[in-house]
Amino acid sequence: MDIREEFLALDQTVYGRPLVYFDNAATAQRPRTVLELQQRLSVEANANVHRAVHHLAAEATDHYEAGREAVRAFLHAPARENIILTSGTTASINLVAHCFTERFLRAGDRILVGEAEHHSNLVPWQMACQRHGATLEVLPVDENGEYSLAALESRFRAAEGRIKLVAIAHISNVLGIVNPVKEIVQVAHRYDVPVLLDGAQGIVHEPVDVQALDCDFYVFSGHKIYAPTGIGVLYGKKEWLEAMPPYMGGGEMIESVSFEKTTYAPLPLKFEAGTPNFLAAACMVPALEMARMMAESAELQQAQCEMRDFLLEELDRVEGLRIYGLPHERSRKIPLISFSVEGAFAGDIAQILDKMGFALRSGHLCAEPLLRRFGQTSVLRASLAPYNTLAECESFMAALRRAINMLR
Amino acid sequence: MKTIQEIQVEIVEEFAVFSDWMDKYEYLIELGKGMPVIDEKDKTEEHLISGCQSRVWLSCRKVEGRLYFAADSDAIITKGIISLLLKVYNGQKPEDILSADEGFIEQIGLKENLSPTRANGLVSMIETIKQYAASFSAPEPAAGKDLEADIVLALRQVYDPEIPVNVYDLGLIYDIQVDADGQVFIKMTLTAPNCPIADEVVMQVREAVADVPGVKDVQVDLVFEPEWTTDRMSEEAKLELGLL
Repeated sequence: MDIREEFLALDQTVYGRPLVYFDNAATAQRPRTVLELQQRLSVEANANVHRAVHHLAAEATDHYEAGREAVRAFLHAPARENIILTSGTTASINLVAHCFTERFLRAGDRILVGEAEHHSNLVPWQMACQRHGATLEVLPVDENGEYSLAALESRFRAAEGRIKLVAIAHISNVLGIVNPVKEIVQVAHRYDVPVLLDGAQGIVHEPVDVQALDCDFYVFSGHKIYAPTGIGVLYGKKEWLEAMPPYMGGGEMIESVSFEKTTYAPLPLKFEAGTPNFLAAACMVPALEMARMMAESAELQQAQCEMRDFLLEELDRVEGLRIYGLPHERSRKIPLISFSVEGAFAGDIAQILDKMGFALRSGHLCAEPLLRRFGQTSVLRASLAPYNTLAECESFMAALRRAINMLR
Repeated sequence: MKTIQEIQVEIVEEFAVFSDWMDKYEYLIELGKGMPVIDEKDKTEEHLISGCQSRVWLSCRKVEGRLYFAADSDAIITKGIISLLLKVYNGQKPEDILSADEGFIEQIGLKENLSPTRANGLVSMIETIKQYAASFSAPEPAAGKDLEADIVLALRQVYDPEIPVNVYDLGLIYDIQVDADGQVFIKMTLTAPNCPIADEVVMQVREAVADVPGVKDVQVDLVFEPEWTTDRMSEEAKLELGLL
């Protein structure tokens, strides 16, 4: 099967040039199976879930729960109760940042985040700290973009029990490095501190087994892993989810309501107030199936490594080009490369590349503190998916050189 | 001195020769590079207009009734477009800048750069140029009667939300004093002392008067002595409310 034929969006031209889509870390394209299911369910099973007894409602509910089951299986989570469906990574993090801190964060406590976090895994914690009179602590990365486990250990020791949670990315959206999350969780657990892993990028590039990782929370979005926008996941250990108060009040999250007292629905519905995006949830089934298939294809995995190696080597040859996020072991780098070029502003390069058909991200990549650490306000990012090709990488390098020459 | 319109037409003609995107960008890059370098000390927070893609700095001075802008950006294509804008606006009168549009940018095919989602600071920069023009186009305070007449006009635009008559014709304004510096003192009342929206009405009066060209500062005194009665309403107001 030619994987590119499954992704209809790839076969189009922009400004008369063939599209080369290198912005997969922002949103991935969707396979035919997802598009078809979305279309079919809109016609055959459009009804509200978990409420009515009629046929369409039962169908919609089954598909919604099938989406949840697909997520559970993909994450190797123990049970349905561990999987809360949200609108995206940001919503999942905000839920924990609100409900966990409500119960477990007191004045004088601390929350530890990584320096390489996306604003979505930074600002909600900052807000929670402000609400509770707590402090946000930052674990720095080194010049290569890597964390030190020894530094983490000494943070816990110095904090003397005041760190109440660690929130850190599985893979940073700027650096593209697979962080040693299993080891981070182990260290944190030695000090009885729970860990939330931001898997927005990690879920796409790494096999995730939440029980093996032993993380307390794992969050990600559907749209980065070939599903539609508007669906996200919060995996949580049952003991935490049960101890946390509900987030939004509303329909579906209740057991019984009177004006005096409301009792809440059991997990997972306790955290799913309101009508969910059942269409997008249902599409997690074919989306995750596509992700699994691509991950199991030795050929595609090999091609991904080749593209990464090609880009790393070719970019390194460009004079004045600096790559952010070069781990000691290359195997821990995913085909996501952020860089800046001396004498050529990232936004200008992106604008010229756009006119040549290349879709790249430029700017602060929603990680201003990290960019500041590297002395930048704006970088360029090429993020690849298994449906990209080495030929695209080659034409990208030629286009990049041309753009740089125009600007210098 | 050419008019804004004439310069825009020239730029559109200049760009007509480019059939290819790359040529157009090359020209913009050239323009950007050729722009006079802004003094580093002028690249202050005060002059910074931030976008998520690039940053833009803009300062403005007025010489003999005409405005001169200096600008910079860390993005060279943005800077090229800025140089076109400055070519159009530099040396023009504030009122001409205020009434002009930037239609030429669309005509030369750079409209997408003006989309708010581009976040390259251009849209905010044009807004800032207009703000400078607006603040410089306010006439010198015309002391006395003219300014007072303008203030009355402005007051006639302010309504008590519950009554379809403006505050001036309702007779809520007891006194208007204007001094030579453009300082305005207004003494006013409300129809009832316990009016729940008192603050809002007073604020609207203050804002309306502050917007009158020539007014530097407004002070509003809210009084309930003497008490307001329907006798204070103008004939038109009484007619409007069916009291005549």
